Amino acid sequence: MDNANPTILDVSQLPSRRQKQTKARDGPDSKYDHILFPKQAWPWGPKNSSSWPSDEEDEADDQDQDEEYVEEPIDEQEIYDLISSISDPEHPNTLGQLSVVNLPDIHITPSPVERLDPQALRTVVVELTPTITHCSMATIIGLAVRVRLESVLPPNYRVDVRMKDGSHDQDDQLNKQLADKERVAAALENDSLKRMLGDMLKTCAF
Amino acid sequence: MGAKIEPLPPFTPDLYQRAWASVPHPTLPLLATAHANSVTVFSLSTLSKHSALTGGHSRSVRTVTWQPGLKSHQLRLVTGSFDASAGLWSWNGDNNEVTSGERLEVDVTKPQEGEEEEEAKEDWEFNLVLEGHENEIKSVAFSPSGQFLATCSRDKTVWIWEDVGVEDDDDEWETLAVLNDHDADVKAVAWAPDVPGRTKGARGKYSADVLASASYDNTVRIWREEGEGEWVCVACLEGHNGTVWGLQFESCPRRGDKFPRLLTWSADGSIRIWSLKEEPEEEGEEADTGSGATAGSIFRSGLGGIPNTMRRSLREDWECTAVLPKVHTREIYSATWSAKTGMIASTGSDGTIALYAEVEADGDTEMANTAADAETKDSASPAWKVLTTVPVAHGPYEINHITWCKRFDSGAERKGEEEMLVTTGDDGVIRPWKVTTQ
Repeated sequence: MDNANPTILDVSQLPSRRQKQTKARDGPDSKYDHILFPKQAWPWGPKNSSSWPSDEEDEADDQDQDEEYVEEPIDEQEIYDLISSISDPEHPNTLGQLSVVNLPDIHITPSPVERLDPQALRTVVVELTPTITHCSMATIIGLAVRVRLESVLPPNYRVDVRMKDGSHDQDDQLNKQLADKERVAAALENDSLKRMLGDMLKTCAF
Repeated sequence: MGAKIEPLPPFTPDLYQRAWASVPHPTLPLLATAHANSVTVFSLSTLSKHSALTGGHSRSVRTVTWQPGLKSHQLRLVTGSFDASAGLWSWNGDNNEVTSGERLEVDVTKPQEGEEEEEAKEDWEFNLVLEGHENEIKSVAFSPSGQFLATCSRDKTVWIWEDVGVEDDDDEWETLAVLNDHDADVKAVAWAPDVPGRTKGARGKYSADVLASASYDNTVRIWREEGEGEWVCVACLEGHNGTVWGLQFESCPRRGDKFPRLLTWSADGSIRIWSLKEEPEEEGEEADTGSGATAGSIFRSGLGGIPNTMRRSLREDWECTAVLPKVHTREIYSATWSAKTGMIASTGSDGTIALYAEVEADGDTEMANTAADAETKDSASPAWKVLTTVPVAHGPYEINHITWCKRFDSGAERKGEEEMLVTTGDDGVIRPWKVTTQ
């Protein structure tokens, strides 16, 4: 363990809008499968893919999502809620409690208040602050954040996970690794890594 | 010149999962798509599924290629997988139907091991596994004659294999070389096509085949065979500011039989074209013996950062002669250079397709390019212009691959000649596009 005594925030201190969210998007049985297996990663993706542009049947299916994402766009707080509940691989706390994930370090462009074509790209940048500068677990934490967001966000969201400037000794290497689609895809086919990610994501609400 | 890119109906069925790449057969109406642990082969005549390769790999198949130069009744595919192996597959069926591109009903169950033969079954047979890489294979490519196969991996190496059994119809392959000059993952390999200019620069020292590799270390390396089975790195191309995702040599023969140029694309969002600086024949002979001349040419190509010990092996002078106009806002995963029209198309994480053409100013753009300083070319690239772009070409999804492909479907005006684009996306859709220029 790299840092035996990290600063831990109480859950009640963390910014959250959790209570407002009542509807889970997936059934309990499949809730980790879709996080870990890219082919099922987008709950509405494969269904829509056959019919771009969408045909009527799919539009009916997608009405829930349309309401959720078009009427009430995803903002930084919602991204925070999605990832702050991920467990740290070394400490019995979440990434939010350990201040690895911080609300001011989450940026969405274009801004959620701007209405766009639903297929237009939005970029989510998450800057992580590992508990100490040489934390060897930074890669797996970054991977967990990327996997978590890619599995629940709509397919037009591009997720960029980085180390906050100066927070980690090998920033550039780590950032490059986390941005590499091919490396991430291959890592998710590694059984021990998959198990580790599964454990970290168990504490996520949906 | 203007151009229009219009969607044609996608190949059927959808794959419903991320697909990495779709590679057309060099002559026949077939297209092989790598997705999950398998490959689906589509007919370019019917735009529907022809057959499938399953059961050979335990992890995703990242890359696939057709072996060229086989006898007319033979079909062979090579797959490269995240399971660190490359697989050799042969078609075990009636080739008349293959060549006519008709759809076959194929039982996809396959033996798990390559040794088992199932007689009289029209199917792909897993003949041989090439083992040696330590981890994921990212790309596989055949030399123009089909004699050599190059594979590359996250283990930082490029392996060259030789098909030694081709005369006797044996599945016998030998490892010729393991190239380990790259500092990180090797993302892609490509061979120079067999065009008249290919032997230029060899100066009798090297055999005709030229290999190039692209890497996570942001560089591209050029390799040649010096003496029997001795492969050496003759150039290191520096300029990209991010992972070089891929590369392709020009297939159109060039004016004056010059050596084919090299196209590279990168996570830095740029697409570059590199040219071999060809020295006059007699001067070239001297340059090989005099170390002063070699050092001078290295200085010109901006390789000052290479340690002295490595300079001796860098014998070719490649320079960046064009940077294509910037279109993409995110990583460029794929680009393709038409052998027929010379047009380039690109795509990537932003889901946009871009089409470019070389501007023929004053009748000889190439000359102007070669003469100009590579550094000034970096800032402005008047030689290439964007013809058109298609945003959200696979809806909101990333596009992993794009290729030019001959049309054989009923909608084609000139079957087997007319070219279309084919894109492969994270949505599992393989989409053909009609390209018209005015």
